[in-house]
Amino acid sequence: MSRGRATSRPARLRFENVVQRFRIIRERPDTIREVFARVFRHSSHYHDFEALKGVSFEIFDGEMVGIVGRNGSGKSTTLKIIAGVYRPTSGAVKVSGKVAALIELGAGFHPDLTGRENIVLNGLMIGLSKREIRAREERILDFAELGEFIDSPIKQYSSGMILRLGFSIAMEVDPDILLVDEILAVGDAAFQQKCLARIDEFRRRKTIVYVSHSAASVRELCTRALLLHEGTLVADGSPDLVLAEYSELLQHAVVS
Amino acid sequence: MRSLISELVRNRELIWALALKELRVRYKRSALGFLWALLNPLLMMLILTAVFSTLMRVQIDHYSIFLLSVLLPWTLFSQSLAYGVESIVGNGELLKKIYIAKSVFPTAAVLSNVINFFFSLIPLIILMPLMRFPFHWTWIYLPVPLLGLVLFALGCSFFLAMANVFFRDVAHILQVILSAWFYVSPIIYSLDFVPARYRFFFRLNPMLYLLNGFRLAIYYGLLPSLQSAVASLGCGVLGLVLGYSIFRRYQDTLVFYV
Repeated sequence: MSRGRATSRPARLRFENVVQRFRIIRERPDTIREVFARVFRHSSHYHDFEALKGVSFEIFDGEMVGIVGRNGSGKSTTLKIIAGVYRPTSGAVKVSGKVAALIELGAGFHPDLTGRENIVLNGLMIGLSKREIRAREERILDFAELGEFIDSPIKQYSSGMILRLGFSIAMEVDPDILLVDEILAVGDAAFQQKCLARIDEFRRRKTIVYVSHSAASVRELCTRALLLHEGTLVADGSPDLVLAEYSELLQHAVVS
Repeated sequence: MRSLISELVRNRELIWALALKELRVRYKRSALGFLWALLNPLLMMLILTAVFSTLMRVQIDHYSIFLLSVLLPWTLFSQSLAYGVESIVGNGELLKKIYIAKSVFPTAAVLSNVINFFFSLIPLIILMPLMRFPFHWTWIYLPVPLLGLVLFALGCSFFLAMANVFFRDVAHILQVILSAWFYVSPIIYSLDFVPARYRFFFRLNPMLYLLNGFRLAIYYGLLPSLQSAVASLGCGVLGLVLGYSIFRRYQDTLVFYV
């Protein structure tokens, strides 16, 4: 899948023949009793499912790469491998630098802790040190526009407020690679504009991997696109080209 | 083992924050709040003292100190396991979403109970002068048995947290095991009370060596023999190595099962 890019700089992110296999167990034995029952019946109630079947690509600094594909094509799996949540079954993944994910905003927030306490806890979870968090606290609070809610427990927040806080913390990691999953649903229109401006500024310096169903946003934002279909990479190139192939694929799917 | 140490050092701030969060959440909604950390062992001590010292007329001088000197470390151990066993499953949703070193969670569960243990020493320290019981200089030895006990609790928590991912029965079985373990360990009694022909079986219990130093230093004002100190640290290191090696083996696949 090399794009013949004449470059001497090393890739920021490289996938080499990455396979991710999941064991789908029809009814997973959660208890010891079920395990015994299964052993005595000599039956195996699982099959293996390959979410990624040998995917290779390279991403360089300054690129914003959109990953498109139908549901179950392996987009989210790819993001989770880059984020380090999944370790691939085989193949090599090379990620250099810090990764931040605007995927599960607010994952790791504790409902009983205040916004301020959650900034510290969440910041530590995504790899900031305490000192870094303290230095950035004001900026996070400013950007999230929480007002006096900042010292109330998070469970009193609206879902929009939680997303805004999550976004603000993630952006402060100052990552080298930013993973974005349908980000544009954060908060109201004004806040979306603010997020987009922030991402736009980020995009010029660093690397963004963007997963979306919206062809328009990929065409507008990305410098390059990848098309995944049933776990294989079927197209890699300029957004216009790849999106054309994607719409062909979708039409095909509707017909069949 | 070196990878574990560097992982824990790298995540020390997160582990500390998670342990404090654990405590804060544990006591947040109760009217007495943090006082429960002090009251719990006291109430437990009162009940056990009433039963064993008063009703059953066990002849031990200053029974409440005799009891508390090992009841507090036992509580540290049993609570560490009770929190540790849920530590990975309870954070499953989080682990599926962002990458965090898995060893952080059992460690934070144990650490929160170590902090709790230090608070639970306060009632003992208040009780001793009230009962005209002397503070022995041997208190300075306590870090040694504490280290052995914490390492052992950590090893057990690593193993249990992982086992519970694959078999949710583990959390239930643990409660039964802990209450049985409480009675076969020399907590409410000492080894002298056990008929000589059964003592061999009691010596197979690692808790005997792990708790021994606490009672010797606090109640008897004695230092343990070198063998006894080595036995306590040895149990701790062995427990950690065994528990962590199992944890490490499955830590990359557990995210598919939580």
